Amino acid sequence: MTTEIHRIVYFSRNAIPGSEETIAAEIRQILESSRRNNTKADVTGALMFNAGCFAQVLEGPQSAVTRTFERIQRDPRHGEVLVLDYGAKSERAFANWSMSFVGRDLREKDLFGAISSETGFDASRLSAEVIFTTLHRLVVEEEKSAVG
Amino acid sequence: MLQILEPDLSQTVILEACDLLPGGFAIIERNGAVGYANSPFRSIFDMPDDPDLKLLLENVCGGDETLSSKLRRGERDFTVSCRGVSDGRTLVMVAETAVVTVPAAVERRDGLTGLPNRVVLNDQLTEALRGPANEAEFALLLLDLDRFKTVNDTLGHPIGDKLLCHVVDRIRSCVRDTDLIARLGGDEFAILQRSPKQPEAARALARRLVDLVGRTYIVDDHLLNIGVSIGIALPPADGADPDRLLKSADLALYRAKEEGRGRHRFFEQEMDARAQARRALELDLRRAFALRQFEVHYQPQMKLADRRVVGFEALARWRHPERGMISPAAFIPIAEEIGLISQIGEWVLQTACREAAGWPDDISIAVNLSPVQFSSPGLVTMVIAALRQSGLAPERLELEITESVLLQETAATLTILHQLRALGVRIAMDDFGTGYSSLGYLRSFPFDKVKIDQSFVREMPSDGDSNAIVRAIIGLGVSLGISTTAEGVETQEQLDRLRAEGCTDIQGYLLSRPIPASGVGDLLLQLHS
Repeated sequence: MTTEIHRIVYFSRNAIPGSEETIAAEIRQILESSRRNNTKADVTGALMFNAGCFAQVLEGPQSAVTRTFERIQRDPRHGEVLVLDYGAKSERAFANWSMSFVGRDLREKDLFGAISSETGFDASRLSAEVIFTTLHRLVVEEEKSAVG
Repeated sequence: MLQILEPDLSQTVILEACDLLPGGFAIIERNGAVGYANSPFRSIFDMPDDPDLKLLLENVCGGDETLSSKLRRGERDFTVSCRGVSDGRTLVMVAETAVVTVPAAVERRDGLTGLPNRVVLNDQLTEALRGPANEAEFALLLLDLDRFKTVNDTLGHPIGDKLLCHVVDRIRSCVRDTDLIARLGGDEFAILQRSPKQPEAARALARRLVDLVGRTYIVDDHLLNIGVSIGIALPPADGADPDRLLKSADLALYRAKEEGRGRHRFFEQEMDARAQARRALELDLRRAFALRQFEVHYQPQMKLADRRVVGFEALARWRHPERGMISPAAFIPIAEEIGLISQIGEWVLQTACREAAGWPDDISIAVNLSPVQFSSPGLVTMVIAALRQSGLAPERLELEITESVLLQETAATLTILHQLRALGVRIAMDDFGTGYSSLGYLRSFPFDKVKIDQSFVREMPSDGDSNAIVRAIIGLGVSLGISTTAEGVETQEQLDRLRAEGCTDIQGYLLSRPIPASGVGDLLLQLHS
């Protein structure tokens, strides 16, 4: 693959009204459709949901990433989208994942480790690097535990 | 062979039919005489000696070949064709050239986005308003993109155009098929939203649009952020005809922008009243300028080191015949908007230079320049002329600009500033701290002075933040080696604090309010005694 890989890291707030069950059902639906679409578009990445916020990494060919991002932007299920990082990268970080997900248990409040307790998950204080590395670490950990 | 199928058909009937033909024809004898002419032919030419006819016969007739030519008689154009028939005779046929009036094609679509344009919007508004009252349930939304111009100016039109197409896609995703989206201009759009649930439907759509259009875009390698302001008008209350309805929506849009953009506003009758009051003020302002109802007042500036008055700031005042003195804050924004500011600014500069020329040589005069004056040509020439006419030494003139001047076309603006400085004129940064307060602006040009906005000075003793800002600006002045003038100094406590922080100059009511030129001499004596 010689196509240059672009990566975008963004953060947004949940806009799905209703109970945790409703939200969980919507997120399942989001994941299903994004896995389907991403596989077709050669986009990989990870999605995290915690404390009413989404954080997502998308990577792939530039046009596919921008198209995917534009579609996500129009999704009414989230708002206050804050792009933390966008640009060309040397390689994919989530090469095996059409859309990895972190945060299966909605009641789990500790996904971001020390960060969430210190900052109360404040988007403006999270850098792209932190979100990216945290997501990456969590995905790798889950991958290991699944194998083990 | 064509035959007369009915033997009884008389020559009379055939000739009668010939007269009823739409075109004229005649049979010309071998000797050039007209043998026969049907009625239409005779109505075109004055038989038998019409000069046009004679010319025609000489030129185009005779021979077997078919010839045709154009003929203009009065306002009418004809095509004349001739061909030989039996016995050396010639058939001449004349037909009026149909004037096909092709109506100028009316453009109905926008080339870039493919959206319908204003023409279509007007048609559909007219149509929608014509329906029975209970069917006229729609809302008109006017959209204006915020900061789009900046994208176009900084990244170029190709990026701007791509961005517009993304914006249109997002708008499309918010509306129903029955709604109409029209592009009215560069970054102006209209939506005719057909829904009986007004105003709720319009409010929901507007909120969605403000959210969605305001989200980040990726265009090529750029992350772009723009916003949208929306004005909404509902028929029939806000307008029963398209023009009125559009105007109401426009007033609401104006208000949305005025309140900070990135929001929607519904039209309210009060907006109309305000717009009218504003128009009245505009008229008054134009009249005031024509009648020179303006005055220049002067407020002293003191150097703290030796407590000497070093200069005055010229401040425009409008003496309204009914409303009394109007402060610059009330009329300068309007003057800027209606394009009168350059003329008012020029008059203030000339007046201030002329009056200051009569003051002691060590007293300078500070005059404000509006950002608008920087974008209109001839600013430098105007300053040169004012100096020459007044005889004021350039070193005694100080021009005050705000950060907003540097926001626009920085290269061109910096050129003008350097030209002004080359004349010997000093340049001061006014109202520092209220705008972007960018250190970059202070570094982009060798300013002679920074003026600290009075809002910080006023709140200084009590408000910690204001204290910090004032201290920071003074520190900036010290490190850049330029003087700092605190505006709006009203109390001795403020003065003491400013002096302790290292502020070099002050201006404010503690010294004097702005006064007419006639009082300057006395004030100098009083302040120096």
